[in-house]
Amino acid sequence: MAVPGVAENRELRAGSLSVVRPAVSGGAFETFLQITADGSVMAFNGHVDLGTGIQTALGQIVAEELDVSLARVVVVLGDTSRVPNQGPTIASETIQISAVPLRKASAQARHFLLARAAERLELPVEDLSVEDGLIRGHNRSVGYGELIGAEIIRLELADEVQVKATEAYSIVGQSVPRTDLPAKATGELVFVHDVRVPGMLHGRVVRPPYAGVDAGAFVGTSLIAVDETSVRDIPGLVAVVRIGDFVGVIAEREENAVKAAAQLKLSWKPVPTLPDLKDVETALRANPSTPRTLIEKGDVDAALAGAAKPMPRTYIWPYQMHASIGPSCAVADYRDGQVRVWSGTQNPHILRADLALLLRRAEADIDVIRLEAAGCYGRNCADDVSADAVLLSRAVCRPVRVQLTREQEHAWEPKGTAQLMDVKGGLNADGSVAAYDFATRYPSNSAPTLALLLTGAIAPIPVVSEMGDRTAIPPYDYDNLRVVAHDMPPIVRAAWLRGVSALPNTFAHESYIDELATEAGVDPIEYRLRYLRDARAIDLVNAVAERAGWKPRPVRQEPVADGDIVRGRGFAYALYVHSKFPGYSAAWSAWIADVAVNKATGDVSVTRVVAGQDSGLMINPDGVRHQIQGNVIQSTSRALMEEVSFSRNSVASREWGAYPIITFPDIPKIDVLMLPRQDQPPLGVGESASVPSAAAIANAIFDATGVRFRELPFTPERILAGLRGEQPSAPHALPAAAQNPSASPGRWQNPFAVRRGAVATVAALVAAGIGIAAAILPWRSIAPIARPDASVFSAATIERGRQLAALGDCAVCHTVTDGVLNAGGRAIETPFGTIYSTNITPDIETGIGNWSYPAFERAMREGIHRDGRQLYPAFPYTHFAKTTDADLQALYAYLMAQAPVRVDNREAALAFPFNWRPLMAGWNALFHRADAFTPDPAKSAVWNRGAYLVEGLGHCGACHSPRNALGAEKAGAYLAGGFAEGWEAPPLTSLSHAPIPWNEDELFAYLRSGESRFHGVAAGPMAPVVKELADLPDEDIRAMAVYLGSFNEAAIGKPDQDALAARLESLTGTRTASASLAGLRLYEGACAVCHQVGGPPLFGSRPSLALNSNLHATVPDNLIQVILHGIASPVSSDLGYMPGFKDSMSDDQLAELVSYLRGQFAPGKPAWTGIRTAISRIRQGISR
Amino acid sequence: MTQPSIRLTVNGRIHDVNAAGDTALLYVLRNDLELNGPKYGCGLGECGACTVLIDGLAARSCVIPVSGCVGREILTLEGLGSRHDPDPVQDAFIAEQAAQCGYCLNGMIMTTKALLMRNPKPSEAEALEALRYNLCRCGAHIEIVRAVMRAAGHAAEAD
Repeated sequence: MAVPGVAENRELRAGSLSVVRPAVSGGAFETFLQITADGSVMAFNGHVDLGTGIQTALGQIVAEELDVSLARVVVVLGDTSRVPNQGPTIASETIQISAVPLRKASAQARHFLLARAAERLELPVEDLSVEDGLIRGHNRSVGYGELIGAEIIRLELADEVQVKATEAYSIVGQSVPRTDLPAKATGELVFVHDVRVPGMLHGRVVRPPYAGVDAGAFVGTSLIAVDETSVRDIPGLVAVVRIGDFVGVIAEREENAVKAAAQLKLSWKPVPTLPDLKDVETALRANPSTPRTLIEKGDVDAALAGAAKPMPRTYIWPYQMHASIGPSCAVADYRDGQVRVWSGTQNPHILRADLALLLRRAEADIDVIRLEAAGCYGRNCADDVSADAVLLSRAVCRPVRVQLTREQEHAWEPKGTAQLMDVKGGLNADGSVAAYDFATRYPSNSAPTLALLLTGAIAPIPVVSEMGDRTAIPPYDYDNLRVVAHDMPPIVRAAWLRGVSALPNTFAHESYIDELATEAGVDPIEYRLRYLRDARAIDLVNAVAERAGWKPRPVRQEPVADGDIVRGRGFAYALYVHSKFPGYSAAWSAWIADVAVNKATGDVSVTRVVAGQDSGLMINPDGVRHQIQGNVIQSTSRALMEEVSFSRNSVASREWGAYPIITFPDIPKIDVLMLPRQDQPPLGVGESASVPSAAAIANAIFDATGVRFRELPFTPERILAGLRGEQPSAPHALPAAAQNPSASPGRWQNPFAVRRGAVATVAALVAAGIGIAAAILPWRSIAPIARPDASVFSAATIERGRQLAALGDCAVCHTVTDGVLNAGGRAIETPFGTIYSTNITPDIETGIGNWSYPAFERAMREGIHRDGRQLYPAFPYTHFAKTTDADLQALYAYLMAQAPVRVDNREAALAFPFNWRPLMAGWNALFHRADAFTPDPAKSAVWNRGAYLVEGLGHCGACHSPRNALGAEKAGAYLAGGFAEGWEAPPLTSLSHAPIPWNEDELFAYLRSGESRFHGVAAGPMAPVVKELADLPDEDIRAMAVYLGSFNEAAIGKPDQDALAARLESLTGTRTASASLAGLRLYEGACAVCHQVGGPPLFGSRPSLALNSNLHATVPDNLIQVILHGIASPVSSDLGYMPGFKDSMSDDQLAELVSYLRGQFAPGKPAWTGIRTAISRIRQGISR
Repeated sequence: MTQPSIRLTVNGRIHDVNAAGDTALLYVLRNDLELNGPKYGCGLGECGACTVLIDGLAARSCVIPVSGCVGREILTLEGLGSRHDPDPVQDAFIAEQAAQCGYCLNGMIMTTKALLMRNPKPSEAEALEALRYNLCRCGAHIEIVRAVMRAAGHAAEAD
């Protein structure tokens, strides 16, 4: 098996030329370039390709300087045992900075080989030329490989090397296809996620509840206990690992590691409360800080005091995410001598140092092999998961692969921090800028690798790093200028994200100068040019204005509205200055953005962007173009919709519904303008085009609406509030989730269950009295028999019995999940305690093998055990009593003909007095009539057949009829709707809430296939019922449909159903004004893919929510159930599957989503009340 | 633990897999069959990185248990074509350089394949809608749409 980094490349071949330098940290040499005797070239760079295509661009640089074809060059990135330590891949500096030594090394090697060739060919160097590694002169030639031969040549990298003149370039500056895409497009091994090592196990980590918070005394010290017995049943579980607050599970198979991580019971100390991050401004002002003046020029205070028009402004940037599409993954192989880690890290050498600290081993013992990962735009969880994998591998001395979940990546990735920018400034009387006094707050650091904190290897002290200063100095030559960075520790886990602090700082600079221009009555571009001194900047601004056809507008004109839509255009410019202050600059960038704002809905769409960039020399112009387009799209997404949400103690955005990113239909048209500067040094292009984004869009929204938006993202809520003239205010915090310590999610609930409380207690006392009276009757045991021989029953009888057992759902209750059929043991929760279903296989001792038919019949009709004990009416003998003798005999035959299985029955765990079974005799006296089914002569035979099936063994009413306080079906409310197992069993009569009334055909379709196009799919406790019905012939299903259909007086025919469905779907296809926008976003991110009417077809059904009965019900229970738990076992796989969202959405989010769905898809129905309570109750598995 | 094996047809070949029936198809494809194409992205069917074709329909393999795949034809990126014999859709994505990091690429290609199988000549608007629920974070959307148009034979109009 090929394992990356352990390949044959590693061994030194005989004969090579290397260009090296003494190692920075230990070891002998770091190699930049190696040419082997076969003429192949390997180039080594300490940076990594984050998806930007730098691997290709670096290859071009090497090929150019060496005069070899690009195909001959292999670029090796980020393997710590092979590449030079060049620091982290940040600040777009690979081409600008870290490619420089590689370029020199290539030139140096070429000079060396040319000199050697001159000697060999006895010609002056000037007479030689090189073409693809072949040196020619006077009709003679010699190749690079031949010149190297068997010799090991090592050149030390020289400082001064003559490199090629740019005019001579033939490879650099040409667009070439990326070398990595064919492998990625065909599924070759490319990503760290694809690494498979022999003997590899699968690990998952379980993170602490303080999700996304990495500083404070509680970090690393909050875990109280791990209950390893809670995962004992997981197949192939290898280990549970705990070190401080670090917890991981390891299993032979990945899905079992997933199960173990979900199932592992942990107890944690309470999690401290965070500052309220729904109000970023207050939180950041309250965060302790140290001012650091970056520049002070002129007399700012005097100028401000003298300003004709003071204009103090505050700009706010939200918390945002990298939101990598692939959650981080790593593989580690910890052996005594060597630790090998396959990682998607952005900084292999720094990670290696972290791992050395974590393991207390020398860095030289650790080899970090870097593979590609999902795009990351700064620091995501790539390092964290590498450390996680190392810890798990060390625990079991086997290779372990760790894959973070979506929820973990979202919650724990170091965020791009919120940022607060204050500007004090204003205009002089002549419209010039009086002063610019800028203060910025950026609560972020480098986010220490998580395992170091969770294991206590380093102290969880929030380090202050000085990174708020990127592009903090505006690009304009203001006479009176002061810029102060208020350095501060992070509030939640944060590190650098594309554009770092420069993007927010530029949002302020470029919004502010637009505000100044408006107040001064000067065209915003003209106004900027008055203060811009940099010639290349001026060229770029002019070029972009020309390209976009910018019309100067000294005074904002109210746009002509197109219905509710107003359009506007905005400009912004930035020179991205990054790295340690004062830093240096990457490419210049300028935007002109066109927006359309819907004044009724608040929706903003960016319709077109002209993005201009001066990148200096472009190594691979197509690569630069793609970077510009990518930056425009990603930063548009950030400006319009991206904002991390928080609960009071952790990150709340844990899936794509809660953190939406831009999708295809919303992508703007992009016109890229790349200034030809091939004679200038290359500049970083990985981030620059993001930097003007937010300001250009904000300025365009101002142009469209006349309203300034100084806080991101520009969501419909914010736009509508702004248009209404509301001051931005912090939204009210939602109440913290109610904690219920007695949570027991997923517990089975029984229809027999009734509401707890006073009524039940009083009722129980009444029943107790009756029961005591009735219990005076003598018990009557029926004598045991020898198990009947199956051969006494005919095959036809047994087969008929099999169908009846299916109709009666015997196996549904009498089988535990994944257990032996009908061997019992399934827990049935009731308000009075827990009952366990019994073994109904024909085992003599533990089953019903010694039951005579009369004993069986009495149990079915009267609810009495063979030994005379009363059975609890959780067993629906009240329905079974209606069954004919012939059918009961067939059922008996079927059960007796099955294989006996010895499984002991569990005693019911009921509290006094309910543990006293004779009580049930009283219940029967009150509520049970053991009468046989009587056909209605006024009805058809098929109707009567249906009635017999439904009322008898089918026992539909057991769930679908309401029950009284004593748990008996209410007289006079047959099939009028009930509750079962935490689900609503909807009314099957005309009381149905379905927007399209049920009719016979739809009932037939539903009972036969599990789906009705006009109602939805069977889920929850109904799914196994329909599955069981598969054993019944069509005629019986039809009969049931006829009977049930007769309760629906309003039934309509197919054409009317179709018309009504179309009307409902069209009515609900547009957003209702009152819809919760947070709910809408959750729907679009999480639900619409499978539920949007007319969406792209996917495997499985596409239930239409507008028609779904559950959206129209009086209670939200079924909707909540299905969102929380999904549909893992549909009636048939043709219907498809639905994931559960219980671990991905908070109660707040679920409540928003449920409210939205109700309002949007059942617009005629009143809003549900008590949604939060219902969510909490259903999460805990408590019945209504 | 021993359990009955599950028979799957993937890329035209039959595989007997020893996995519990509720195991997500994605894990079986990646771990048992050692296929790299389908990627874990969210586990909730939201992002599309795990897309495969089941009986010719796009399917999110992270939310479909293997038990539901018995008797069906599963096609992954590998089954579509290889570096040396790519499917026209793969070819179009390579030609248009339609990826940055490439993690979403599997889903984009497989979803495009499903689109072209039901609608060989989609308009650009139809392509945008077909890919609406496939997320790309790097911002390769423009190149991706061009690739879809190229694969649909619209190469001339694409430029």
